[in-house]
Amino acid sequence: MILSLLTKRYPGMRAWLTQRLSGLLLAIYSVLFLSRILVLSPTSYAAWLSFNQPWWWRIATWLFWLSLSVHAWLGVRDVLKDYVPNFSLRMVLLKVVLIMIWLYLAWITLLLCAI
Amino acid sequence: MMHQPDSRQQAKKPRPKNLNLFTIRMPVNALVSILHRVSGVVLFLILPVLLLLLQLSLSSAAGFAIVQNLLNSVVIKLLMLGLAWAFFHHFFAGIRHLAMDVHWATTLIKARFTSKVVLVLGGLATALLAVSWIL
Repeated sequence: MILSLLTKRYPGMRAWLTQRLSGLLLAIYSVLFLSRILVLSPTSYAAWLSFNQPWWWRIATWLFWLSLSVHAWLGVRDVLKDYVPNFSLRMVLLKVVLIMIWLYLAWITLLLCAI
Repeated sequence: MMHQPDSRQQAKKPRPKNLNLFTIRMPVNALVSILHRVSGVVLFLILPVLLLLLQLSLSSAAGFAIVQNLLNSVVIKLLMLGLAWAFFHHFFAGIRHLAMDVHWATTLIKARFTSKVVLVLGGLATALLAVSWIL
């Protein structure tokens, strides 16, 4: 079934499905985020804090960044594969992108814990 | 005996490959597709700035005021509008991809139509944001 596509036997299909599922999560969070901004309109520091503080929202935000990490990695990887024909340069760029993505994830994790 | 072209020999010939966007004719669905890529890369590159703004805005009332003042400047607002467009386009084009993955609107005529819808919605959402800032 569809979950068998997630095994290592089909890495291309796995990437394809992962890109879709993470994209769906990103879209759902985005709609939630914009709705909350419109409803709560946090224009003061206190309001902005209470916008970000609920534990469920912080978990949602963290899951958003996790999805974003995967989604951005697969997307940027495909773009680099298409437009950087030089193998060693592409490998360097891919590693830089991977490090950036891990750093952002660590950054947002610390940020969300500190709120 | 009829002469048959040797498929293995044919495969050895370099395959035609053209990724130069400036020499490719751009129908509307190709335009939506490449803008999906461009907007995705832009959104990825801006992530550290967004994280920095989020950190500053949450650090203290003074930090929040700095971010608020930044976002009130015209130049930053224009940049943010560009980013907002990148986000909205990527969002709508992504939803179009998901729809096509479940075999919705996959004929050429429908795909062209949904491409135009994506372009219009991306522009409209950005325009809405711009208007909400002016009012």
